[in-house]
Amino acid sequence: MNTSQLEGIDTVTLSAGSLQAEFAPALGMTGVSLRHEGDELLDRQAGVLAYTRTGAVMGVPLLYPWANRLAGHDYMLDGHDVRLPSGPPLVHGVREARSVPFASLGPDEPAVDPDRFRGPDDRYPGGWKVFPAHWQQLPDETLHRREALDVIVSTIASLPPAQRAVIRMRDVEGCSAEEVCAALDLSQGNQRVLLHRARSRVRSALEQHLP
Amino acid sequence: VSETFEHISCQEVVELVTDYLEGAMPPAEVARFEHHLSLCEGCIFYVEQIRLTIEAVGRIGEEDVPPEIRDGLVEAFREFKSRP
Repeated sequence: MNTSQLEGIDTVTLSAGSLQAEFAPALGMTGVSLRHEGDELLDRQAGVLAYTRTGAVMGVPLLYPWANRLAGHDYMLDGHDVRLPSGPPLVHGVREARSVPFASLGPDEPAVDPDRFRGPDDRYPGGWKVFPAHWQQLPDETLHRREALDVIVSTIASLPPAQRAVIRMRDVEGCSAEEVCAALDLSQGNQRVLLHRARSRVRSALEQHLP
Repeated sequence: VSETFEHISCQEVVELVTDYLEGAMPPAEVARFEHHLSLCEGCIFYVEQIRLTIEAVGRIGEEDVPPEIRDGLVEAFREFKSRP
C-alpha cells in the first residue's frame, strides 16, 4: 500500500498484479484512479477537487461495477480500525428532499419519448426497445461542430423561460446550483427539476440531429 | 453484501439521471441506480449522452453567449416567477 497525493488530496494506492487502485480516504474512500499496466481506466472528468466541491459525480467510469462506495463507515484495514466521519465530505449524503413542485414548473413532460420503452406486459417493462447510441464513439468534435452548437442554441432558445434561465446559468455560464437558487429564488429541488427538463430536451434535440 | 434491490427500469433511470449527477440522491437510491447501470449498457450510454450534452452546452459559453438565449432572460424569468 502506498500513500500519495492527488490534487492535494491524500490518497492510498492498492496494487494487485498489473492493477493499481487509488482511493481517497478523506472522501469516503472514493475511487480516484484505476490503472492497468499504467493505463487509466477511470474517466475522472472535472477532477477530484470538483468532486469535493460539488459532491457530484460528473464522470462515467469506463469500468464497472464502480469501486467508489463503501457500505459502512467502519472497516478494518491493515489490522487497524478505520472509522470514516458520517458528515461531509462523505459524498452522496441526502442534502435535502425534493420540494413539492409548484405549478410554474410547467407540465411534467418525460425526458425520453415513452414509446422508446417496452410496455407493462413485456418481460422487461420500462426497458429500452433499442439502446441509445454510444456517443463516445462518434468522430471527434461531432458534438462541438457548428451545426451541433446551432442545435443547442436554438433548443435552449425554445425552452420555457425558467428552464432556459437555469440551463444557461448552470451549463453555459458554469454557475453552481447554489448560485442559481440564490439568483432566481428557487429551491434546490425546483432548480433540479428545471435543469433536468432543460438538459433532457437538449439531449433529445442533439440525438435527432445526429446522423 | 446481501441486499435485495428494488429494481428500477430504464424509463426511471432517464428521469433520475439529473438527481444522480447532482449528488442529490439518497444513498439507497444511488445504490439502485448504479446497480441498474452495472447491468444495462443502454443506460450507461444514456448517462454518457447527458454528460456529453452538458459538455457541449458548456462550449457555447466559450464564445459570447448567443443573443437568442441572452436577450429577454430577466423579463422571461420575472414572468415565470409571477405565475401562481
